[in-house]
Amino acid sequence: MIENIKINPYQFLVLVIFFTIGTGILIVPSVLAAEVKHDAWIAAIIGTGIGLLIIWLFTTIALWFPHLTYIQLNEKIFGKWIGKAVSVLFVSMAALYTSSLLYYSATFISTNMLPTTPIVALNILMMGIVVMAVRLGLETIARSAEIFIVVFFVLFLILGVCISPQIKLENLQPVFVEGTKTLVQSSIYFVTSSSVNAIVLLMIFPALMNKMKQARKSFLIGNLIGGIMIIILSFLSVSILGAEDTAREIYPGYELAKRINIGDFVQRIEGLMGFLWFIALYFKTVLYFYATVLGIAQILHLKDYRPLTLPLGIIAVIVSLVIYPNVVYQKEIQQSTEIYFSLFVGLFLPLLLVIVYAFRKNKLKKSPEPESP
Amino acid sequence: MKKSLLVLLILTLFLSGCWDRRELNELGITMAMGIDKSENQYVISAQVVVPSEVSMKTNSQGRSAVTLFQASGESVYEALRKMTKNSPRKIYPGHLLILVISEDLAKEGIAESLDLLSRDWELRPDFYVVVAKNTTASEVLNVNTPIESIPATKMYKSLKVSERNWAGTKGIILDELIKDLLTDGKEAVLTGIEIIGDKEIGSSKQNVETITSSTEIKYDHLAVFKGDRLVGWLNEEESRGYAEITNSVKSTVTAIPCPKKGKISVNILHYNAKVTGAINKGTPEVNIKIQAEGDLGEVQCPIDLTKPKTIDELEKIYEKEVEEVIHRTIDTVRSQYASDIFGFGEAISRSNPKEWDKMKEHWDEEFPEVTVNTQIDMKIRRIGTVNNSFLEKIKD
Repeated sequence: MIENIKINPYQFLVLVIFFTIGTGILIVPSVLAAEVKHDAWIAAIIGTGIGLLIIWLFTTIALWFPHLTYIQLNEKIFGKWIGKAVSVLFVSMAALYTSSLLYYSATFISTNMLPTTPIVALNILMMGIVVMAVRLGLETIARSAEIFIVVFFVLFLILGVCISPQIKLENLQPVFVEGTKTLVQSSIYFVTSSSVNAIVLLMIFPALMNKMKQARKSFLIGNLIGGIMIIILSFLSVSILGAEDTAREIYPGYELAKRINIGDFVQRIEGLMGFLWFIALYFKTVLYFYATVLGIAQILHLKDYRPLTLPLGIIAVIVSLVIYPNVVYQKEIQQSTEIYFSLFVGLFLPLLLVIVYAFRKNKLKKSPEPESP
Repeated sequence: MKKSLLVLLILTLFLSGCWDRRELNELGITMAMGIDKSENQYVISAQVVVPSEVSMKTNSQGRSAVTLFQASGESVYEALRKMTKNSPRKIYPGHLLILVISEDLAKEGIAESLDLLSRDWELRPDFYVVVAKNTTASEVLNVNTPIESIPATKMYKSLKVSERNWAGTKGIILDELIKDLLTDGKEAVLTGIEIIGDKEIGSSKQNVETITSSTEIKYDHLAVFKGDRLVGWLNEEESRGYAEITNSVKSTVTAIPCPKKGKISVNILHYNAKVTGAINKGTPEVNIKIQAEGDLGEVQCPIDLTKPKTIDELEKIYEKEVEEVIHRTIDTVRSQYASDIFGFGEAISRSNPKEWDKMKEHWDEEFPEVTVNTQIDMKIRRIGTVNNSFLEKIKD
């Protein structure tokens, strides 16, 4: 099923950008500012650097067997049963984060726009289009991402340009107060949400089989562009809202949009800016969900993943309703437990994969090409 | 076919409406709000626009353009919601322009009452906050104003205009206020608002029917805060000194003495002040560097304006005057209120973050002792449309 799907490196690049920005665009500045205050944007730069290293690791792994998805890689390198166990962990992460993102987007709407609308209605609407996209397949997702990236960049540019007159560089001073260690530590959250979790993108990597070298470049560049956008946003948040305020806001990016005011004429356009977040959140949810269904299909060696989309979609909605009891709990969990979970699945397991591969290299190379799964 | 019809039918369910729909005619748009406190209860006054009176299409029926609703409660939010008991529409604060806090409440502390305003999703934190001097917030909101039929708009615009052209007032929006309250080494100030004249007549239509309004509301004085409590007021001269130190002068007119007698007014067009901190032999020091540029606007003394030397002399006088005002302001604030409203501590934290960490705890004792150096550079560029004043000939 996956062999017939082809996307080009540019489309992949766009998907990587959306994935990297995803949730980060909304809250990363706040999380960073809470820990390192004025130096939030420096922490974002460090985070992007670390992120690139991790992406480099992922692409290295993917390039051993370009035609295999991450699930198939696991089975090949770890062997059938251990491989399946590892894959189950991976899929559970993707599934959990699908619901987590649903909760996330619903909370955002409910806090800022529609406070009395039931969360379940928002989640069903969101999941409806996610399921639709995944059913239509990766090619459709990639093409729609190609269209939306234009909208996304235009909106981001409007936000950046309109808000820039309010930059106060004094808010950034003093620079480099926090030590390097604190800076690196605080960037971990950003690194996990935008780079470590990007391991789910290895599920769509084989769709680029013919242009592997370019695909690797797309992955790295996409991550870098996404990282730069988050750096810009952190910079804007801290320099306009100030470190204290950025840390206090739940959605500093949205707060920035609220503040746009050009000559008392161009103002109150935060609703429009909300599109930025929705587009990014939507594609990130789609990619998580795609990884979930495709992962399950491949673990069970199903011929087609499509029959799984609707039931899993329903489950994702239900889980999203019970996953966090309240927003405070969500924030707490996201910045502690989920980081470790992500690091375990997205960093520890791939590293283990590298070690095992190093030992079994010769044996694996000799074995003939695997039969199509 | 049947299947797609079914899908369409299901989809219509989503179109039936949205939970959070609110029509314009269900909202009571409030543009100014006041917070008072009496006997542990918050008294909230909301100045709500009467749509039929301000709309262009329907003719005015001669009623007041705004109406004032009041409610009290244990918390600001509760009081605001309780207002539905006497208002036919739910109060919508999304277009709030100005928030008036009564002096009594400000003396007790304003922080508690501000949380709602930064937390509520309907509000944008870009409205001005002012303190009602010698009166209550509800009384300030109860005055009819000429020119602008909505008093909230008058209060908003007049603060904006005077801040830009006079500099003795300072429009502080909620965000800045909260930032000032939070920042170590900087205390908050707010502009004061006063009622002049009879409060009874002020609320009636009569007030705007005569050429001279018998009652008017006016900005004056700056309220000095320490923490979130009001500790005193700066008078007009000190308010301008404050603006001069904190670089909030956009344009202003300053009268300076002539070399011999009389006055000359300078119209300041460009103004830039920079406060930097430093540690000199272990003691904190603050340098204020001011660059100003302006024109001569009014000459009331016989003086020879055709000579470059005169201009140099006037520049010197201006520099000296401003320096004096600045030092007088700093002295008053230090001796009477001991509240670092100028952000000297913040300036030091920016330049010497490590030393500041040590100093932070006892900054209150350090602040009155800080050495303040000023360096003012003023340039007069133009002298208006005439050379020497005609006064010279008359006086002869």
